[in-house]
Amino acid sequence: MTLTWLGRSFLYVAFAGALGGVAFQLRALRTKRPSFAIPFAVLALLGIAGAVGVMQYALITHDFALAYVAENNATFTPLLYSITGMWSALEGSLLLWSLLLAAITLGVLFYYRREKTDAVVGWAAVVLFGVGAFFSALMMFPADPFLHNPAHVLQGQGPNALLQDNPLVAAHPPLLYLGFVGFTVPFAFAIAMLITGRVHERWPLEQRRWTVLAWGALSVGIILGAWWSYQVLGWGGFWGWDPVENAALLPWLTATAYIHSVIVQDRRGLFRVWNLSLAISTFALTVLGTFFTRSGVLESVHSFSSSTLGPLLIGLFFFTVALGVGLLAWRGDALRSAVGVDQPFSREGLFVANNILFVGFAVVVLLGTVFPLLYEAVNGTQVTVGTPYFATIAAPLSVALLALMALAPLVSWRSASREVLWNRIRLVAWASLAVVALLATLGVRHLAVLVAVFFAAAAAGSALRTLWGVLVAARRRGRLLGALRAPTTGGMVVHLGIVVLAIGIVVSTSYTQRSEVTLASGQSTVVDSQFVTFKGFHVVKDPLETATQLAVEVDGHSLFPAVTTFNGRATTVGTPAIDSNLLRDVYVTFDAVGGNGTTSGAQVQNNLPAGSVVLGVTVEPLLAWLWIGGLMVGLGAGVSFLRRRHVEEPT
Amino acid sequence: MKRRTVLVTSLVVLAVVVAFSVFLGTRQPVTDATDITSPLLGQPAPNFSGTELDGAHWSLRNDLGHVVVVNFWASWCGPCVVEAPNLSTFAWQERHANVDVIGVVFNDTLSAAQGFAAHYGSLYPSILDPGGAIANRYGVVSPPTTFVINAKGRVVVTLVGPVRLSQLNAVLGRVRQ
Repeated sequence: MTLTWLGRSFLYVAFAGALGGVAFQLRALRTKRPSFAIPFAVLALLGIAGAVGVMQYALITHDFALAYVAENNATFTPLLYSITGMWSALEGSLLLWSLLLAAITLGVLFYYRREKTDAVVGWAAVVLFGVGAFFSALMMFPADPFLHNPAHVLQGQGPNALLQDNPLVAAHPPLLYLGFVGFTVPFAFAIAMLITGRVHERWPLEQRRWTVLAWGALSVGIILGAWWSYQVLGWGGFWGWDPVENAALLPWLTATAYIHSVIVQDRRGLFRVWNLSLAISTFALTVLGTFFTRSGVLESVHSFSSSTLGPLLIGLFFFTVALGVGLLAWRGDALRSAVGVDQPFSREGLFVANNILFVGFAVVVLLGTVFPLLYEAVNGTQVTVGTPYFATIAAPLSVALLALMALAPLVSWRSASREVLWNRIRLVAWASLAVVALLATLGVRHLAVLVAVFFAAAAAGSALRTLWGVLVAARRRGRLLGALRAPTTGGMVVHLGIVVLAIGIVVSTSYTQRSEVTLASGQSTVVDSQFVTFKGFHVVKDPLETATQLAVEVDGHSLFPAVTTFNGRATTVGTPAIDSNLLRDVYVTFDAVGGNGTTSGAQVQNNLPAGSVVLGVTVEPLLAWLWIGGLMVGLGAGVSFLRRRHVEEPT
Repeated sequence: MKRRTVLVTSLVVLAVVVAFSVFLGTRQPVTDATDITSPLLGQPAPNFSGTELDGAHWSLRNDLGHVVVVNFWASWCGPCVVEAPNLSTFAWQERHANVDVIGVVFNDTLSAAQGFAAHYGSLYPSILDPGGAIANRYGVVSPPTTFVINAKGRVVVTLVGPVRLSQLNAVLGRVRQ
């Protein structure tokens, strides 16, 4: 019982800190007294950190007195998966969520500590504390992570098999959560700007910094999730348009739109109401995504935990949108800028196109995600919406976005003169055309690939040209390192990352070669110019798992595809093995075994001689670039986060 | 007039969000496949045959006298990922009991379906359905949909959505009575 009470006490402290923050901040806003926001944020963070400490102690020492530990840990769970066990199920995930939120709240308040009497910072703090209090309250009542387990548990269940199969479980969920939680900051400031009616100052651009941080974490989190499913779910896929994947993509799309359109507000004072709406929608979509993941209303590979939180989360979603829309209705018409976009073919005009594409993309994804629910409500039967629907829309939209990436960075603000534009774009256009011509002569005949490569190359060209301009300007000022903190540097690095990622996706999905080969022990064969040898079986038994491994050699590298049964859960998963280099990935699965199948859980084919196996060999060219591009995006977001602080201009 | 657009838009958005939230808030968590009354129930099962993913030929006629579980699936279908291990386990349990499980690939590419089957549905065969001819005959609009055909060749159950092992066992018990 000690751990239960200790953990709960820490949660009470965290809740008190958040609630106190709301109360004192509101008082401070009314009476102009000091707010003590930072001490309350420290209190909330200490409370959550204490609760996390208790949970980690229980997980690491396998203390099954907590029901959560008994369900998500076992005596034989290794240290890494004991630690990550905290986010293997709902209650613990909320702990991680609250920890990140408390840390970000403190970080934001500390960053703006000199402006703490500013009403915008004050109201933003109220919202941040309010959201923190909501999530602490969830853990105090309906989703208690410290529930006592009265039964005597000897061994425990261990985490879900899929969640103890790959060390990426330590990185993918926390980054995703950092992204989700980070979007609370622009939301809080949007609400604060609406309440105070001050949208025309530097705050929107200030918020871009925090959005970029969350956006970068979310991007890398999504990419790592794709990498994980690529490694674990053995059919070479990295994205399945699963409801929970869509839940992460939706706020990513609106945040991407926001990051771009805020630049227009900074430069031209346009899109004020629109930007606030995007910041609010992004946060609302993270809440909606959490609802999709946690309510169990949609069938998904991520349904590790369904819960009774559905109505509460949808309540928060409704409250968020209602608050935002209500404030916009009240303030909106007075906040609008007097001017509009004068020329459709100008930088701001292209930003409008960018926003239409991203928001349209989000609408399409949202519609596809909830369509099964709508259909069931009307027709009473279940229906599945999948890749055929999403891919037909995502592919042309992505090409259009690449085209915009190629054009927009080179087009001037206000109105673009044709000659100037042609001057800037000439080299890029010819170089891209040359790349396409080269590929065509090398035998690439896939029209879609050639079109995508053309726009990708042009996008890379215009990003490089912009970076070159920044570098030249920095050299003229004699401070080359200053280029790193220039406003456009991070963004253009992100663009380059997206180009690399896009090429990885297009080439690997268009040129996948899949084959099945039957090999006896010691036999070799050549599959798609890869030399594959099957050397024999191994059975690996350790306290965690029992695996039947095949020793396979691909071009001199040893691979061990397997069928693995995790002890304690009695679930069997196939474990593919991948040999990856910069040119191609070879993905080997253990598809079937000959004889009467005593050796594994894989498919038994009686017409195969005993001792032989069927290997699935998939060769995917340039796939590694998808992950490299993803990391470049994260790097660019980091650079953009650290850009020079905005200097207040006289208005 | 022009200056009120934000107000009007906001009110419209608010109305949509209220409806959307109420709708989502009243949804029940998905559980099992739902047993639907398809026009095929009690009727002789439409015959079909096709090429298996590994190239062999498969025909329903060869399974006369067996209970046949026909499962329409696709690699892009999330619920299919959820149910595939259940079908595999079921096929494995009943492999000596005159019960056959056959998958029919619904609107998918060959390579994705092969990859999926190798990983998830490895304990029963699946056939291709070019042009969706079989799906049409069975009135399947969305995977996963599962039909159970009794030993006399009549369709006894139509299940839409991911099937659980217990559901399959219960249906089998009913069919055998």
